[in-house]
Amino acid sequence: MRKWKNNVFVAVTGACALLSCGVLLLIVGAIFFRGLPAISWNFFTEQIRLVGAAGGIFYNLVGTLILISTALVVCTPVALGVGLLCGVYGRHSRWRERFMVLLHLLNGVPSILFGILGLIVFVKFFGWGKSWLSGGILLGAMILPTVTIALIERIESLPAKYLEAAAGLGLNTSQIIWSVIVPQSLNGLITGSLLGLARAAGETAPIMFTATIFAGATLPHGIKESPVLSLPYHIFVLAQDSFDPSVGEKLWGTALVMVGMVVLLSLIALPMRLRIHEEAYHP
Amino acid sequence: MSIAGWKRRATPTLLFSFGFSAVAVLFLLMMLVLFLWQSIPVWRHEGFGYLFGKQWFYRGQQFGALPMIYGTVVVAALALVMAALVGIGTAIFIAEFLPSRARLIVKIMVELLSGIPSVVYGLLGVLFLRNWVYAALAHFDPLSGDTLLTAALLLAVMILPTIMTLTDDALRGVPSAQRTAARGLGLTHTETILSVTLPQAAPGVLSAVLLGLGRALGETIAVFLVVGRQDNQWPSNLLSLRPLIESGQTLTSKLGGSETHIAYGDPLHWAAIVGLGLILLALTVAVTMTGIRLGTRKASDA
Repeated sequence: MRKWKNNVFVAVTGACALLSCGVLLLIVGAIFFRGLPAISWNFFTEQIRLVGAAGGIFYNLVGTLILISTALVVCTPVALGVGLLCGVYGRHSRWRERFMVLLHLLNGVPSILFGILGLIVFVKFFGWGKSWLSGGILLGAMILPTVTIALIERIESLPAKYLEAAAGLGLNTSQIIWSVIVPQSLNGLITGSLLGLARAAGETAPIMFTATIFAGATLPHGIKESPVLSLPYHIFVLAQDSFDPSVGEKLWGTALVMVGMVVLLSLIALPMRLRIHEEAYHP
Repeated sequence: MSIAGWKRRATPTLLFSFGFSAVAVLFLLMMLVLFLWQSIPVWRHEGFGYLFGKQWFYRGQQFGALPMIYGTVVVAALALVMAALVGIGTAIFIAEFLPSRARLIVKIMVELLSGIPSVVYGLLGVLFLRNWVYAALAHFDPLSGDTLLTAALLLAVMILPTIMTLTDDALRGVPSAQRTAARGLGLTHTETILSVTLPQAAPGVLSAVLLGLGRALGETIAVFLVVGRQDNQWPSNLLSLRPLIESGQTLTSKLGGSETHIAYGDPLHWAAIVGLGLILLALTVAVTMTGIRLGTRKASDA
């Protein structure tokens, strides 16, 4: 009887595992095999034509790259500031705890709310209209928890003897920070950023009201009224009314390019990804 | 950091660190203040009726958020139940029965997949899931494949990797000596898991489920594409299953829709839209804080 119960349990959990892996493989398979026919050199170098039915996704790719590099530039100094506060200056104070709670709250904010916030602040109050800069700032704020938590984790795992040796040489706090702590924890910052950018590249909700349009933009000039095209918004718009089969093929191609980009970014950061989960709370 | 003479002098580095930390705090504060302030007119206009009203007709200046709250709660709860059952089952299998190399392969696959953008899930929902749901429900004669159930199914698939991988972490966190001891007492694998491993991993499993819930509540794009976006869908009978196979509206799908653009000119209408954002913010903050409470309690128990 107990043996029998054991077998049933293994069978049930095994079935769950098969189901989840099956579903996930199905998803990847569908994207890969549907998207592959669309991929060619021209797909990457041409503009979209005929409302997405022909041509390529050059400016969408460029737009997404502009958005995520802006996000990186916006996010890095803030992440470094908070990281030093939590990992060095306030390491044993209550401020570390408070900032960790803040980062987790920020991480839990739904992405559409960043979009609404951007619509109020950048589009309307600042009068920027749709602009690549507001999209970059919003995405930067969105990925801040991911980058910062990865950085803090790295700073706190530095061997104490590094710091003792530096202090023994007579370096002051700032010198220790810039010559030991920051260089030694740089790979935390880099992998955290890669994970963050993988998320930012695929987000639609924060940028659809604030930064991106479907067609008719090339490279941005200035800040006001200078939207960019982007990969996720391209898919979002076409998914809502794609009955033309040639649109369908390009659509899957775009999805494949985006998934490839995300997987590539997270693959580089995989060791970090397996060690920490920025979503999970580690007190 | 145990360094003697660690003094806090106002060096440029300290100012840099504190200054940018203040930026992060101010950003979150600004978000909260803006959502409160911009939604004031609708609270004045509707009072608490805004939360409990069942009618949303912006031309008639009627704003009741209840159908959207209902949609969000139903879709998230349904998705969570499905994803938690399958996800926890999977995690038990890969953490307890698979050899560690196979486990690592599954784990890597899941980690990479958890990054698939929501718009891609939305696309899969539009082109496949919607039609499958329509065909499967043909017997009940639904109006279309865009239903609350479709959205919940899609969300369940999306949060599955999160729940799976975090539950697996929690299970692996239980010391293996405890398993060996239980096995030595003559318990079967199953009994060991159910009476030793799972109870010990419970806080971790629960916070995995809460994180899944947080994601499910806030997901916009995928839900937007398959939920049907039908306003004023308040079911006459709360216990009936019929509303699940009809179109609906969630807080996020409303916020992501074109009404957000139309609303800006009219202060009251705009306040009603921002108010939906405020409700969503309150929901997700509550879920996140619960998760954090659980996390801290676990740490102080240990």
